[in-house]
Amino acid sequence: METSTYQDVNQHVVERCKGGDNRAQYELYKLYSKAMFNVSMRITNDYAEAEDVLQEAFISAFKNLHAYKSEASFGSWLKKIVVNAAINSIRKRRSELVPMDERVAAEVPEEVTDDSDTEWQVEKVRRAIQKLPDGYRVVLSLYLLDGYDHAEIGEVLGVSESTSKSQYSRAKKKLVEIMREPQFAA
Amino acid sequence: MKDRLKDFVSEHREDFDVYEPRPELWQEICQEISAKPVKETTKVIKFSFGDDFSFSGNMAFMRVAAAILLLIGCGLTLWVTKQNTTEGNYTMAAVSQPAIQKIAPELAEVEAYYTSQLKDKKEELSEYDMKVLGLDEKKEIDREIARLDSSYIQLKKQLLTAPNTDKVMNAMIQNLQIRIDVLNRQLEVLQKIEKLQKQTTEETLKNETNV
Repeated sequence: METSTYQDVNQHVVERCKGGDNRAQYELYKLYSKAMFNVSMRITNDYAEAEDVLQEAFISAFKNLHAYKSEASFGSWLKKIVVNAAINSIRKRRSELVPMDERVAAEVPEEVTDDSDTEWQVEKVRRAIQKLPDGYRVVLSLYLLDGYDHAEIGEVLGVSESTSKSQYSRAKKKLVEIMREPQFAA
Repeated sequence: MKDRLKDFVSEHREDFDVYEPRPELWQEICQEISAKPVKETTKVIKFSFGDDFSFSGNMAFMRVAAAILLLIGCGLTLWVTKQNTTEGNYTMAAVSQPAIQKIAPELAEVEAYYTSQLKDKKEELSEYDMKVLGLDEKKEIDREIARLDSSYIQLKKQLLTAPNTDKVMNAMIQNLQIRIDVLNRQLEVLQKIEKLQKQTTEETLKNETNV
């Protein structure tokens, strides 16, 4: 029941947008721009690029609104557009997003990172994520913060599910390493 | 396995979204989406003949259409030029023939004489095997005849406009005589070759009988 009412609220605004209502478009933008900007920011790790991606994604979403069939929430539909646009954007500037060899994907043992002494702080973790290399950062962000599972990550990046899994555990290990660096404490 | 990091992040999920786009960004998006419809109406001028015959998509149709157009074009130009040339020839013959007859009444006679002469020579020549002359020789002769042909045509045209018809007439007759000379020379060469061949065969026959 909850989801249906939630969808109905969006549906109303979306319908108005399809009719070209500028105020309805602004409503949707206000509702989603911050979350979507952070999605874009996590993937691109660059403010200007993240803005370009956001702009491109919203324009494409409004233009292709007729393709939105309200099977999923508008938010997740929009998020897909943003994630794809962001990944395309960083692919343009970097040749390979998941350069780690897929061959050894299966060999990576499950993470036994001793993180008991790691003091988790939001700001620290967030900054550490930003310091990760592109491949690690994208997988880790999508998994931890954007609620993608490994199958979905594999699909969006064009790699296998196991690659995404191994990439995630490596990313996590690297993250802890970064956070332990003495110069990072500040 | 327990993922403490994941648990931690899910607990503080809201706090991770720290960035916000510039407030002006909406204005930029707004301009783009309001400009879009205008652009599209000007852009999308599509020639569409149903699904199979859209100009953008179906290249096969375009090829066929282009080929047909080309054929029609060629056919028309050919027809028009043919029409023109036949008409032109007809008028030329109708107009210039009497004109020439007025200017140089003896020309018809001269031409008739030389053409019959040339015809005889050519017949005589055709009896010989032209291959013995060699390819280069044959080509040279053909070229010379062609040169003479074109200059004769020019002279004939000049005859209509030139003040001194006698000079032109003389040149024309000379031209015809040169042709006969060329053919005569050719005949001579052929006859000599024939004689030589006969001699050699006779000699070999003699030699054979002597032995």
